[in-house]
Amino acid sequence: MKSFREAGVRLYTVTYDEPDALADYAKAHDTTFTMLSDPNSEVIKSFGILNTLIPPDDHPWYGIPFPGTFVTDADGTVVAKFFEHNFAVRCGPEQMLAAALGQEFEVAATQRPVDRVSVEVTIDGDRLPMGVTRQIVATFQVPEGQHLYSDPVPEGLVAAAIELDNIDGILCYEPLGPPTSPQTLAGSGETLQVYEGDVVLRLPVTQNARQMQKDDQGRFVTISGRVRWQACDDVECFLPESMPFSFRVEAGFPVLGDMGPGVGRVPAMNGAQHFQRLIDRRAGAGSASDNQ
Amino acid sequence: MEIKVDTRGGPSNGPYFEDAEGFNMPEMPGNGSRRIPLGEFPTGPKVGAKLPDIVATDQSGRQVDVHADRAGQPAVVVFSRSAVW
Repeated sequence: MKSFREAGVRLYTVTYDEPDALADYAKAHDTTFTMLSDPNSEVIKSFGILNTLIPPDDHPWYGIPFPGTFVTDADGTVVAKFFEHNFAVRCGPEQMLAAALGQEFEVAATQRPVDRVSVEVTIDGDRLPMGVTRQIVATFQVPEGQHLYSDPVPEGLVAAAIELDNIDGILCYEPLGPPTSPQTLAGSGETLQVYEGDVVLRLPVTQNARQMQKDDQGRFVTISGRVRWQACDDVECFLPESMPFSFRVEAGFPVLGDMGPGVGRVPAMNGAQHFQRLIDRRAGAGSASDNQ
Repeated sequence: MEIKVDTRGGPSNGPYFEDAEGFNMPEMPGNGSRRIPLGEFPTGPKVGAKLPDIVATDQSGRQVDVHADRAGQPAVVVFSRSAVW
């Protein structure tokens, strides 16, 4: 968590665990961020994100949120949210930091290309643990007087986008891009969405462990695809272009507690004992055996 | 908002089950802890809104008010299912 501290961004987690379970987790995993205990799911409910698909008598599952991440600026205003429907998927720290620092769609000032759009594609982390998202980041530097389009576009025009090859085991989610502005075409009168100036597009990706290749160096996945775009100026559109990319990144599993077997488990956080308490505390709610 | 349960998926290797995205899980999709939404579900305060107050006890037993504690710094607040499981 050094990078959060260096960036001056505070990191908090909220779960329905007891404080002593969080203390054991923090000790076992050597964490330094602030882990908040919400045993009655009061904070979760106040945010309106309680998982209401789980009935109140289903212990120990009742009380968890639809998991997700809120990012605020220095004023405490929410500037980004990361929610996925699948709780096996959560966003990586790079995305949180970029959003917190307002750098998600920022393009570093370099020499502006004169005649053709230049494109750079990167992945915003060097590891891709199962279920943790990293982002494919495509940066387009656009010559003065030219622009790129956002989906949807009419047939014959190519919107700027990141496309993944269809590889079993590699998953991608909703693409992210900067705001667009409407532009009405002179001929058809059709209104299209245009990116003004340089553009950063981001595509969240993760892997489900079915594609991992293991060798002496560890576990890896390969993510490949292409970036497509078509630049236009006020007079004409240029030919559509595309650029392939391929990233081989270290894969593996996310860090887990000591419940049950599995790679990435960190013992010594008394997981089974805390889990039993999650069951007991609500099963006894309202009775003399209720945990205070 | 009516929230639907994602029941897509089925048996996988050994005692495991597999959801629609190919993640292994210990229960059939749509059961127990694996009652995850399909389609629209609530994600709380909107972008542009003030982050609601959060006052809770942290791992060292300290009472934390997030807006006071972040002391004018940007914050990332992760709502997760559990640190135990």
